[in-house]
Order: sequence, then structure tokens, then C-alpha cells
Amino acid sequence: MTNPHLNQTEETIIEMKNVSKNFMLPQGQVTVLENISFKAVEGEFVAIVGPSGAGKSTLLRLMNGLLAPSVGNVLYQGKEQHGINFESAMVFQNFGLLPWLTVAQNIELGLEARTKDAALKKEKVNRYITKVGLDGYEEAYPRELSGGMKQRVGLARALAIEPSLLLMDEPFSSLDVLTSINLRNELLDIWSDRDNVVNTMIMVTHIIEEAIELADRIIILSNRPGKVVGDIKIDLPRPRQKRDKRFIEYVDRIFSLLA
Amino acid sequence: MKSSEGDTVPPQSLPEIGISQILGLVELLIGKEGAREDIYRLAGELSMELGETLTVIKAAEMLGLVHTPGGDVVVEAFGTKVIDASIPERKELLREKIELLPVFKKVREFLATEENHEVTREQVSEKLAELIPNEDAESSFSTLVNWGRYAELFGYNDDSQTFYLDTDEDRGE
Ligand SMILES: Nc1ncnc2c1ncn2[C@@H]1O[C@H](COP(=O)(O)OP(=O)(O)OP(=O)(O)O)[C@@H](O)[C@H]1O
Ligand SMILES: [Mg+2]
Repeated sequence: MTNPHLNQTEETIIEMKNVSKNFMLPQGQVTVLENISFKAVEGEFVAIVGPSGAGKSTLLRLMNGLLAPSVGNVLYQGKEQHGINFESAMVFQNFGLLPWLTVAQNIELGLEARTKDAALKKEKVNRYITKVGLDGYEEAYPRELSGGMKQRVGLARALAIEPSLLLMDEPFSSLDVLTSINLRNELLDIWSDRDNVVNTMIMVTHIIEEAIELADRIIILSNRPGKVVGDIKIDLPRPRQKRDKRFIEYVDRIFSLLA
Repeated sequence: MKSSEGDTVPPQSLPEIGISQILGLVELLIGKEGAREDIYRLAGELSMELGETLTVIKAAEMLGLVHTPGGDVVVEAFGTKVIDASIPERKELLREKIELLPVFKKVREFLATEENHEVTREQVSEKLAELIPNEDAESSFSTLVNWGRYAELFGYNDDSQTFYLDTDEDRGE
């Protein structure tokens, strides 16, 4: 599979333009991200790789508008973004599920802010439950689910919003090794499904192999402050094999940029 | 996880393994030459304990996805078919295997004979006591619920601790 979405348009979905982010701490101001510039075009799967504390989660929060940049601009479809971007949705490392709500209720939660139409909400919940393979789990509580099923709920909740931009913060790092293999493959299946509204995905990870396996392009962040030290296009057909010579070359290249 | 010697678990017990892990195993193997791997090497590659690796393999074997000649694990044609299928189609395919497992058959039969197609968790545990040794009861129960939901063989409501048959009329809210 090559990217099923690219080459249709080259429309820029999101652009970070010379973005820096500072936080005030008791001991003074710290710069967490410095002069970050990159863009993601419609249909692209972008991975952001960097060590722990590099500011990856902060970068995602800047992209969905939960945080404002200290310097520079975040442009969404060419316009400067102010406040939360309701066309983006987020998937979290720890799933972000409410324990007292069922699977169906957790998925519906994301729709509350967008529509009051109960029938429409129900239809969307059902549609995305089916897409991620959760039929039969509607009334289960998060505590009853394996990690893999919990993250399917997180994904369905994000997809149900029908966002133009899907942001994922280390979505596989709480999962055991086999479950994460399965969910990475299913994410690619869902992404390549042309019925889906969401074409553009940005995923943060600290695992280089995971980024190479999935993404069209990888942005590499250095640590303290986070700066873009590389922006590499991954020119390999999918599915990608870790033992492939060119895969290993990409690993080495990214590793040396991070070192 | 409890220590499980994958090969000594009696056939009716259900391994405490999620469907995602099983699918991940088959996907990993399909990427390998001949869709097979030596089990010891596989455990090493995954940094998993051998016992745990065997339990996942056993679960995949119960569903007809792999078989284990000698010390290897090999993907069956059915395994390839499942992985090639779409996410909803996978459920259909696996349902056909899950519903044939003795524990699931027994619970379905039990539900079918009850007037309102509802039974309590306790009643199910009692029924299964004949099939499953005591020490495996807890883990088997969680797999019963999870695979049963995945295959849509029955519903389980944890608030009321009841199983029910997922017929259309029962579905109405
Ligand atoms: N609201 C905040 N106020 C002060 N400091 C913050 C705030 N949010 C993040 N930081 C700091 O910014 C730095 C980057 O944090 P961030 O969580 O973005 O990194 P990360 O790359 O996602 O790390 P990890 O890999 O551990 O998830 C850290 O040193 C963190 O302590
Ligand atoms: Mg983070």
C-alpha cells in the first residue's frame, strides 16, 4: 500500500510557523519548543519523533489549540488558529476514557459538543464502533477491557467526531507488544479506508521503528529545547518490514540525527 | 499474569489472552519468511516469557489461526484469510471458531433454554465448574466475556452481572 490519499491535492492542513513555547516555572522561564516550522498536507501521515521531555505532547496541544504559541503562528488550512480546533481530534497514550461510562457512552462523549441530535449521535457512535471492531462491546466498561480494546474506544471516539486532522500522542505505548502490532495495522487499515473522513494524521512517538513503519514523513525533535533537527520522507511501500535493508537505513539515519 | 504452562492447561479452560494480542501474533508471523517462526526465538524477539508466549500461541491455535509443528509456530491458511479481511469481516470469521469452543457452546445452550434468555454470572460459573478447573475460573471468565462480546455470541452486563442472548428483540433499549 502506498499512501492512498496523497497526490489528490497538496492542500496544507496545518502549518507551524516559527513556533516557540515557553513555560513559566518558579525558577524562571523555560523554552520547551524553539522555532518549530513544518506543515502537514491533506492525506499525509506525519510522525513526530523525539526523546522523552522533548516537547512532543506540548507540540500536539499547540496543534489542537489547547495551548497558544509564545512566539510564531499555528495556521489551520491557511488561517491563524485561535482557541481549540474543533476539526481536530486526539487519541491519548492512556486512552482518556471515563471509567463510569460504557464504551458507547465514552464514544458519544466526543460528539456532545458538536451536535444535540440524539439520533445522529447514535448513528455515528454505531458507525465508528463497527469501523474499529467494537461491535458487541457497547455496554462494557473500560475496566472490563484489554488495553487493545480500550485504545479502540479511544480511536472510535476520535473518529466519530469526523475530524479533518487526527492527532495521536504515543497511542501504542501503553499496549503490550503483540497488541500494539495489531493496532498499528488496524490504524493503517482505517486510514486507507476511503470512506473515512479523516485523511491527515499526526502521531507522536519515541519509538523510531514505529514512526518508520507508519508514516509518510518523520519530523525529528531534539531535546531541551525541542527543535526540528530533521524532516525525512519515508519512501517505502507498505506494509513495511523492520528487517528490510532500507528500513534499517532509515533507522540509522534518524538515530544519528537524535544522537 | 498467573503462571501458565501453556501446554498443560486442560482444553476447556480459556487462556487470558485478548483478541488483539492473538491478531498481533498472526500479523507478526505473516511478515516472516514462510509465515513461521521458532517458538523460542519468537519469545526472545518479543521479550516475552516463554510461558506467556505459549499461552498466546495456544489461544491462536484454539481459533484455528496457527499450528505448531515441532518447535515452530506456523500461520494457517485461515489465519491469512482473517488478517486479509476487513476489521468487521474478521469478527465474522472468528465468530465461527469461537462459537464451536465447548465453553461458549455450553453458555449459549444454557441461555437458549432460559425463558428470558438471561442468566446470572453465578449461574454461568456453576455451569462452567464442570468444564473448567477451579484455579482457571477467574481468567476463563474474563475471556468468556471478552471473546463472547467480540464474536457477538451473547451480551454481558456488568452492572446486573447477567449474560443474555444477543437476539434482536433483546437488543431494543
Ligand atoms: N504546563 C506546563 N508547565 C510547565 N512545564 C511544562 C508544562 N507542560 C509541559 N512542561 C514541560 O515541558 C517539557 C516537555 O513536555 P512534554 O510533555 O511536551 O514532552 P514529551 O516529549 O511529550 O515527553 P514524554 O515523552 O515524556 O511524553 C517537560 O520538561 C515538561 O515538564
Ligand atoms: Mg508526551
